[in-house]
Amino acid sequence: MKAAAFDYTAPRTVPEALDALGDTRRTAQVLAGGQSLILEMHLRRGGPDLVVDINRVAELDHMRVNGGALQVGALVRHRVFESPQAVPGALGRLLSLAVVNIAHPPIRARGTMVGSLAWAHPASEWCAVAVALDADIVLQASGGTRVVAARDFFHGPHLTARHPRELITSVRFPLLGDDTGVGFVEHRRTHFSFAQVAVAATLTVRDGVIGDARIGLANCAGSPLRARAAEEALIGAEAGPFTAGCRLPGDHPFTRAGRIAAERDAAPLAEPYADVEYRRQAIAVVVRRTLCQAADGWSPGGPGGPQGDHR
Amino acid sequence: MEPWSRREDERLLTGEGRYVADIKVPGCLDAAFVRSDVAHGTVRSVDCSAAREVPGVVGAWSAADLLEMPACPHSAARLRDLPPVPYTLLAKLSTQEAVAGREWPVLAKDRVRYPGEALAVVVGEDRYRAEDGAAAVAFRIDPLPAVVTASAAADDSVRLFDGLSNIALRGETGEPIEEPVWQEAAAVVEGRYRQQLLMPTPMECRTILAVPEDDRLTVWSGHQMPHRLRRELATLLDWPVEQVRVVVPDTGGSFGSKCATFPEFVAVVFLAVKLGRPVRWIEDRLESMKVATRGRGQDQKTRLAADAEGRLVAYELNIDADVGAYPHLGVGLPMQTAWMATGPYGTPRVHATVRSVLTNTMVTYPYRGAGRPEATIALERSMDMLARRLGMDPAELRRRNFIPPESFPYDTPTGRRYDSGDYAGALDLALKTLGYDGWRAAQARRRTDPQTLPLGIGLACYVERSGGEPGGLHEFGGVEAHEDGTVVARCGTASSGQSHETVFPMLVARTLGVDEARVRLVEGDTDEQPEGLGSFASRSAQVAGAMLQHASMLLIEEARARAAALWGMPVEEVAWSDGAVHAAHGGSAAMDLAELVKATGPMRVDDRFESGMAFPFGVHAAVTEVDPELGTVRVLRLVAVDDCGVVLNHAVVRGQAFGSAVQGIGQALYEGIPFGDDGMPLLPGGLLDYLVPTASEIPPITIKETCTPSPRTPLGAKGAGESGCIGTPAAIVNAVADALQLADPSLLQTPLTPDVVWRAARAPKYQEAAR
Repeated sequence: MKAAAFDYTAPRTVPEALDALGDTRRTAQVLAGGQSLILEMHLRRGGPDLVVDINRVAELDHMRVNGGALQVGALVRHRVFESPQAVPGALGRLLSLAVVNIAHPPIRARGTMVGSLAWAHPASEWCAVAVALDADIVLQASGGTRVVAARDFFHGPHLTARHPRELITSVRFPLLGDDTGVGFVEHRRTHFSFAQVAVAATLTVRDGVIGDARIGLANCAGSPLRARAAEEALIGAEAGPFTAGCRLPGDHPFTRAGRIAAERDAAPLAEPYADVEYRRQAIAVVVRRTLCQAADGWSPGGPGGPQGDHR
Repeated sequence: MEPWSRREDERLLTGEGRYVADIKVPGCLDAAFVRSDVAHGTVRSVDCSAAREVPGVVGAWSAADLLEMPACPHSAARLRDLPPVPYTLLAKLSTQEAVAGREWPVLAKDRVRYPGEALAVVVGEDRYRAEDGAAAVAFRIDPLPAVVTASAAADDSVRLFDGLSNIALRGETGEPIEEPVWQEAAAVVEGRYRQQLLMPTPMECRTILAVPEDDRLTVWSGHQMPHRLRRELATLLDWPVEQVRVVVPDTGGSFGSKCATFPEFVAVVFLAVKLGRPVRWIEDRLESMKVATRGRGQDQKTRLAADAEGRLVAYELNIDADVGAYPHLGVGLPMQTAWMATGPYGTPRVHATVRSVLTNTMVTYPYRGAGRPEATIALERSMDMLARRLGMDPAELRRRNFIPPESFPYDTPTGRRYDSGDYAGALDLALKTLGYDGWRAAQARRRTDPQTLPLGIGLACYVERSGGEPGGLHEFGGVEAHEDGTVVARCGTASSGQSHETVFPMLVARTLGVDEARVRLVEGDTDEQPEGLGSFASRSAQVAGAMLQHASMLLIEEARARAAALWGMPVEEVAWSDGAVHAAHGGSAAMDLAELVKATGPMRVDDRFESGMAFPFGVHAAVTEVDPELGTVRVLRLVAVDDCGVVLNHAVVRGQAFGSAVQGIGQALYEGIPFGDDGMPLLPGGLLDYLVPTASEIPPITIKETCTPSPRTPLGAKGAGESGCIGTPAAIVNAVADALQLADPSLLQTPLTPDVVWRAARAPKYQEAAR
């Protein structure tokens, strides 16, 4: 397939980009890493009249920590997060656990975190992490800037709160405390394919009791979800004991949380090779395993290595 | 040259390869096709008028529009209407009977029978313009119910061709087995296996570029059988074959899928001739996923019986094959499965039946393995079930039933005459390489430890057929010596990545005793080599290799005869060694090939040489670990022992074995086409939905070879390219069934996706069922 004809502009500054996006005569799309947009254009699935290529907008290529938050600019590529040291503390660990699940290295070298949020694929790893951590999405238009919480940002597959004339300039994640364990586990058919289920989790355990839990679900509904019912069931529960092999008894809090996430939080849709029954099963298992990983990372037993197949 | 590099590697790996899409011809037009968005329906209208207004579009035609296309001054003026897609009788792939009353139009006229069937063709100044035009074509199709499996189509409740059954061919091999045989057997196992439709997925999809010049047409195409393409195109145009030249440039894989004259090829050639302009069609990936030929597609029923000692007494295989919407190219292909149903075992009674059923899918066609993977999976899954029933080790059951090496040539009950084999030798090597006993011990340990994942070991013993079918076991070619000391070898094959440029010159050089660097191969050009069969059925080394060795020896005879005349001595007194003639009984007379050509003039020999059918074989063994909670399968080890007779180049054969094993893994675990209720394939994301194994999915693979030469070809070589597709899928499926200890292994149907395996893992285990 070849793309239909389109106009192209490559602004150098955010105001120039916003001017281009403000053009009401044509539909415009932002090109960052292009790992989804270019494919869609080739497939002639609703391609834009105007492509606004932001790759030359230097001010969007930044990542910084201030005020207890990590700010990631719109041009930061996925691969930056492959190193757990790229971002301080447990947040860095979580992002590094998540990023290796995103496609293959060449795609991670081009694609951007903010681009994934804007594209809002139901199976997106970053979208689930953003929802789990209550990230803030910073949107700029020629009239000004607004901040939308991740929980209010995702409206459905490829549908977000972003107005077509707005540019997502960055996303902000709260840093995680040293007493927080993190986990990210993904289940998919091949390394290249989208997640059938992916789960991001954080656990904060004080005196052997779970004080805080966050669970983000990817591809468990039309949008990324926070598994709030499962989280509530965890808070106040005893964290251990469990083994890394993770054959937990059915009444273990992690097992229970997995079932609750699958039955009450998730709204999985059938797709080829995964009907709803199978998907609920997979969600329950992957949530449980992610919690084990998060608890393992926190426990005095030392940080558990990444699970699964991280090539 | 480093031993692991091939002559073509530098060109191909540095981007210097020249594929059809790289060939620049001034004024060339790109064709794009408008394709049906339903699987089965009645065509009400196709309107190309808007497309003709699109900038850059040169023309747009439905089937009806082409009838009105004005004649051109070209000699093809007498060609009025677009001819239909030709059928083939080669290798019994189709029959007159099957195609009678079932025309395959190049552009659908009143009915579409498979998703993506072409409704119109648009040519533009480039592919972008052509696609813009295609998007502007309006059409209306009233959908009809669609049938996408052989089982669904066989009852004729939905007919693809009015008044004709969907069952387009029936066949059988062997004698029917009487009921008492089954009743008296100590153990009988029955199975039902579905062999899903697969896509061959070469890196480069199909390509054709047709360039008309004066009264000739040059066709560039990534193709396995250039001479067949030339012959079929000339017939369609009603031209003598000499007026068509087919050239095969670098080609990015084929796996069997590039042998035919496809509907798009007919349209492109017709338009090139009618317009008097070069026209090309470069199939893209999504198009290929819609309309490239499929492989496999069988619903199988098996029955296997043994006596109490585990000696096989009877095997029955019933096949309902999904052959797609038109019987023209592959309706007879499932007979390959029937003919090879016997496998490596000395089963006295074997009977196989075939019903080839038309369905609303693209045509099924040979894909690497072509009928033999289906035969192997049916038999080898049955063997594992039988071993379980008898309480025998699956390796021991197989060993007890192999056709022994001294029984060759062996006539199977299903009509094949096997040339040679040492099946036990291959099994021994596979078990030793795998460390079979060690894995069995590990499996037993894991079964007592609930914290571990279940482990399974699977075997598959296979026999396959290489070279082709009777009538297609010969090849044409020749060898020519030049004044500058170089030698040109020509043959009728065409490489799509099988290392001919490396292997054939090496073979000719070795036979002549000259430096390999002095020998060059010319193939894939019908002007250079006017007759040929091509590269398919793992035949190039076995058949064309033998032909080139034969031609090299003819050249030596010619050289000796010329030297004898030159020197005035009897030819018996002229000897040949190290690329030179010399007097046999000493003396100073000696001339190398270059000097001889200078002295006596151009020297070229051409001939046709026939080989016999050969039967490569092997044993594949897989170890898998299954996560029963998620249904994921991890292949921990794969051992492939293949015997393709005498190997001409070990690195090349190894590459073939590795690549085909990976494709076998694809069939076992990943590849499949899900269909919606309307019969449309659910593959909106292309290769994001049709999953092929990538580097991340490749397990540790160990390739080993044994060598049992074929007595039917002078080189002793058998075909090498298809082993992994044939042996690997059954080994993996058996390993998963073994891990799960399934009472009913039929629950596992490929691809073994996580949901399939998870469901199977919850089913009763065989010990439980036995209680």
